[in-house]
Amino acid sequence: MFSLLTHVALGSPAIHVAPAPDFMLGGLQITNSMFYGWIVCVLLIIFLTYIARKVTLHPKGGATQYVEAGVDFATNLVEGAFDDKKVGRKYVPYFVTLFFFILLNNWSGLFPLVGESWQTESLHIGFHPLLRPMTGDLNATLAMGLVTMIVVYLASIREVGGFRKYIRHFFIGSPLNPLYLVIGLIEMMTDLTRVLSLSLRLFLNVTIGEIVIAVFAFLGGALAPGGVLSPIVALPFTLLELGVGALQAYIFVILGVNYLAISVNAAKAHDHDDLTEDDVPETIEAKASGAAS
Amino acid sequence: MVFADAAGSLSIAHGIMIGGGFIGPTIGIGLVGANYLQAVGRNPEAAKFLGQALVFVGLIEVYGLLAFASTFFVK
Repeated sequence: MFSLLTHVALGSPAIHVAPAPDFMLGGLQITNSMFYGWIVCVLLIIFLTYIARKVTLHPKGGATQYVEAGVDFATNLVEGAFDDKKVGRKYVPYFVTLFFFILLNNWSGLFPLVGESWQTESLHIGFHPLLRPMTGDLNATLAMGLVTMIVVYLASIREVGGFRKYIRHFFIGSPLNPLYLVIGLIEMMTDLTRVLSLSLRLFLNVTIGEIVIAVFAFLGGALAPGGVLSPIVALPFTLLELGVGALQAYIFVILGVNYLAISVNAAKAHDHDDLTEDDVPETIEAKASGAAS
Repeated sequence: MVFADAAGSLSIAHGIMIGGGFIGPTIGIGLVGANYLQAVGRNPEAAKFLGQALVFVGLIEVYGLLAFASTFFVK
């Protein structure tokens, strides 16, 4: 038992931002975060399928009610962002899946024997841990961000009713006005940074949580021989990471939903506008002269 | 220059990066929290916007974390 607790590399904490390869599989390097991601995915499918079969009209308690509360919370989150709840309901399955996927991946990274702080004699390759949370890998979060933004773009084009109307929502007024044109173009540029900001936020929060836990486990290991105190010293930061993991899942989902909802709501609110509308002379000169007269 | 050589310029660089990078997000999160509490104090119904306040906290803190992460690339 106590051999497991000596999980801190003596000397200085070995910290890695990048995942490390565990083994080769058909010429493909399987990294520790991929490996743990697969394990968590399989467990997640089994667990949530088991829970879904146990849902009854009169809740009996247990793990089912917590999952139900989570699903209800995420469903309200997604539906509440849209003006029209019927539109929102179509995208509930994707975003609720994303919520549980990120939440349980973040939390499963805090288990014992997982992550940067657990580098035992038996459970590491080189100085890298064997298992590492999947969301602590930029490749995984970049994939999630890319898929989410592709879903958001395709769904908003479908809901708005055409590519042209989708582009139209970037412009707050007529694109013929030079000011609105520039603002619209800047809006379109910032839209492209969303993939990076979504994925970097999740990755950095999880990875830096790992590093903070590893550093404090190391400091605790320096207090007593054998690293007996390090889990106790690292415990407050592990508890903090529970909150951070939940908050990051919430933020990822609510930002993805809002990116979709902004374009859909704007298009529904200004359904009568069109690019070909030329009877409104919206130029700065017209406004200025109108205000003066 | 002499001071940097004596104390280790890398340590000083890391200290400046972490300190300078964290001060902005810290002030920002403080402003978000202060304004949220002020809004709740004036109008208790505003308490339902805690989720949105937390979203802004998440938006802000990523910049501090970027500064922290870049210390690993400054060698």
